[in-house]
Amino acid sequence: MATDSRVIDGFGQVSQTAGTVFRYLLLFATLAGLIALTVLLLFVANDAIQPLTADPGWHLVFLLTLVVPTLSTVGYLLARARAALSVGVAALGLVVVSTMFAGGIAMILVDIIPPITWAGYVLTFAVPTVALLAARRAVDLPLLAWLPVAAVVYYASLLGIPGPLGSVVGLEQTVPSVAALFSSLSVLPADWLLLVVTFTLPVAAAVGSYVRPAGDRVAAAVGVGGVAVASAAALSSSTVGLTPVPATTLATLVVVPTSGYVCRTVLSRPRDRIGLALPAVVVGGSLLGAVLVRAFEFAGPQSWVDWQFLTSAHSRAAIDAGLYPAIGGSILLMVTVALFSFPLGVGAAVYLEEYAPNSRLARLIDVNISNLAGVPSVVYGLLGLGVFVRYFDQPSGTVLVGGATLALLILPIVIISSREALRSVPDDMRRASYGMGATRWQTVKNVVLPRSFSGILTGTILALGRAIGETAPLIMIGAPDVLFSLPTEFSAKVSAMPLQVFAWASLYATPEFYQRAVPAGVVVLVSVLLAMNSVAIVLRNRYQNEQ
Amino acid sequence: MANDRTRTTASRRNFLTSAGALGAVGLAGCTQSTDESGDAETLSGTINIAGSSTVFPLATAFGESFDDDHRDVDVYVQSTGSGGGFANFFCTGDTDFNNASRPIKDEEEAQCASNDIEPIELTVATDALTVVVNNDNDWATELTVDQLAEIWSAEASPTTWADVNGDWPKEEIKLFGPSDASGTYDYFIDAVLGEEGPGHRQDYSGTEQDRTIIQGVEGSEYAIGYMGFAYYTENTDRVQAVAIDDGDGPVEPSLETARSGEYTPLARPLFTYPKLSALGEEHIAEFARYFIENATDESVVADDVGYVPLTDEQQAEQLSTLEDAIDRANG
Repeated sequence: MATDSRVIDGFGQVSQTAGTVFRYLLLFATLAGLIALTVLLLFVANDAIQPLTADPGWHLVFLLTLVVPTLSTVGYLLARARAALSVGVAALGLVVVSTMFAGGIAMILVDIIPPITWAGYVLTFAVPTVALLAARRAVDLPLLAWLPVAAVVYYASLLGIPGPLGSVVGLEQTVPSVAALFSSLSVLPADWLLLVVTFTLPVAAAVGSYVRPAGDRVAAAVGVGGVAVASAAALSSSTVGLTPVPATTLATLVVVPTSGYVCRTVLSRPRDRIGLALPAVVVGGSLLGAVLVRAFEFAGPQSWVDWQFLTSAHSRAAIDAGLYPAIGGSILLMVTVALFSFPLGVGAAVYLEEYAPNSRLARLIDVNISNLAGVPSVVYGLLGLGVFVRYFDQPSGTVLVGGATLALLILPIVIISSREALRSVPDDMRRASYGMGATRWQTVKNVVLPRSFSGILTGTILALGRAIGETAPLIMIGAPDVLFSLPTEFSAKVSAMPLQVFAWASLYATPEFYQRAVPAGVVVLVSVLLAMNSVAIVLRNRYQNEQ
Repeated sequence: MANDRTRTTASRRNFLTSAGALGAVGLAGCTQSTDESGDAETLSGTINIAGSSTVFPLATAFGESFDDDHRDVDVYVQSTGSGGGFANFFCTGDTDFNNASRPIKDEEEAQCASNDIEPIELTVATDALTVVVNNDNDWATELTVDQLAEIWSAEASPTTWADVNGDWPKEEIKLFGPSDASGTYDYFIDAVLGEEGPGHRQDYSGTEQDRTIIQGVEGSEYAIGYMGFAYYTENTDRVQAVAIDDGDGPVEPSLETARSGEYTPLARPLFTYPKLSALGEEHIAEFARYFIENATDESVVADDVGYVPLTDEQQAEQLSTLEDAIDRANG
């Protein structure tokens, strides 16, 4: 080659400029999108919250009670105890995110699934499960024999005897389903009590088991205390202007997990307990600030993201407009999407990764799934319209159709990210499992899935985050631009947050809608997305630590 | 290890006992009775509306107040455009009402008929635009549609009044109009410039507030602007309306000329089409009545939405059409 014969006289000179320019170009590429988005979001948040309309006194109070103490706490922790800071941030995040989730669940329990129905369903599944477990202890039968028994018992519990199968051949219903039996009782426990038993109890038990490494007695105390707090919240709810059901839900989902986290941190990581000062300062500072502001009568900002906005439906007057049906619709859609896409997506991923032979067909499926992930969402909307609405003759724009369409949309993403998680389980572990004589099913169940589960969940949550922001498929399947009440069943019409924002922006182009209601909707949507993604990030960190 | 396990079971037992005791105490005092007192008289059901984005604000305004009065009725409104609503939702049987900013076309009626759907035409309001000039303007109080199109066209873009007509003053035209996000802007293009026409010129003061247009035209002798008719009627002394000549002589904009159809092309009736079979359902018939009964309400139709309300005679006519249809649907 020509270069070989060249004589090198010295090292010559290499300019550093090109490298430096390249480096900063890369930095710019990294930050450009982030900065643009941050600026945009700040603009939007400014329009929605209008912080400058607040009294200077209001700003001063919160500066003194919230901002300064928080910043000094963070500064202290940064300098002295970095590990404690992450504990503090996690606890604070837990409070914020669990409050948002509790709000969503309270919304479902108040307006969509009344506690009686919920308790009925819990009983429907709890009664046969307990009966089957008891029977398995008493009678010894092979697994295959249990399957039909279980199917029959669950069927009877869910649909009664003889149920819809009987009505096909013309038999009268003789024994009602558990849920029907339950709701036909003339006297039932109060709603909040039903919730405490069917909802708080499992949550308290789960939190208790999380705290258990720190000591059994503490765990029991947290569990019992949680139930007590939830009951107390229900009984004293009227004093803070709430009804019992949301009060119980809030106590169950915010107070119980937070106190569990605090207890475990204090007992098992005594050196990091100082970090808990951060959430204490933030929560305490906010409360103190709120009290002081009220006492001094300083007016807060004229924010559009307020209680009224979150709890009322659309109105032709921008000032009365709210996002409530859209928030509820988004939550229901997410539940439906998760129900459809999680089993299908994870199932497909496990098959492709663990079972599928390395054949041409498998590779073809592989390539097509990757391609499907890139298909524009409007195409999925058309698919939903064509298949679910026209072919299966479902009413247009319902929770079921919307959820199924969005589930199809994110299915490829769920499959791809789940496969990624499954692939990250080292092959050594599989071989070790086989070496111990385990079958493939045992290996998947005991080794691969447990190791990859948080990774799978992370991917699924991020994919759900994509589904929650989709508008085009919902427009295609005929979701209404405006509705005034929450969908209460799968066959009810549904709107969603991005769709409502789009409707405001496109159909109500008055300055008030455009400059206030739309930004306020965007702020709520982005907050929900960030909350979902933060859960995904926490899961991913745990997953990476386990590796 | 063994010691540990006994402790665990003990604490779990404690936990269960205390929870159970708590539950029992609660059960004794905190029960509810599940007897439902059914209100047979309240309306319930769903109402699905799709169609024109022009009628959309009117339909949602009435939907909103109807929903407030009847909590068990769910009103869903979707903006799909008149044609899209007919073809994709109404004539396929998915919706109960289709809004339209033009009468139904023959082929749409045929499509509906092939699915056994009979649309009932109800006029709900009139959409009208008013072209306004300064009170001191004495040359352009009457404009032909062609002149209007020339003034606002992106191709001709005359800079002075003399560019349009040699007899008019050689002064710069100041243009005020709604911004391109407005439905009024789209309608003006549709009616005056034509869908395939030269397009709306962009060197004008566009605003989303009608107030600004009035102020602009009021403040300059050589200004011209256009806005929804409803807003002009509240400001008749501040600016003067231009009579529009669509070939049959100049016509002044007024409620009468807009309703009678003389004031072309800047006025059009707006419709909603319930399907006959749906009117057999009580809540849908009630909503249709509510729609027409309130279509004369100036505070909603004119002030909130910006259209020309129905006259009492028009309302009576529409109501009788509706009642006939309801009788047919029930009979």
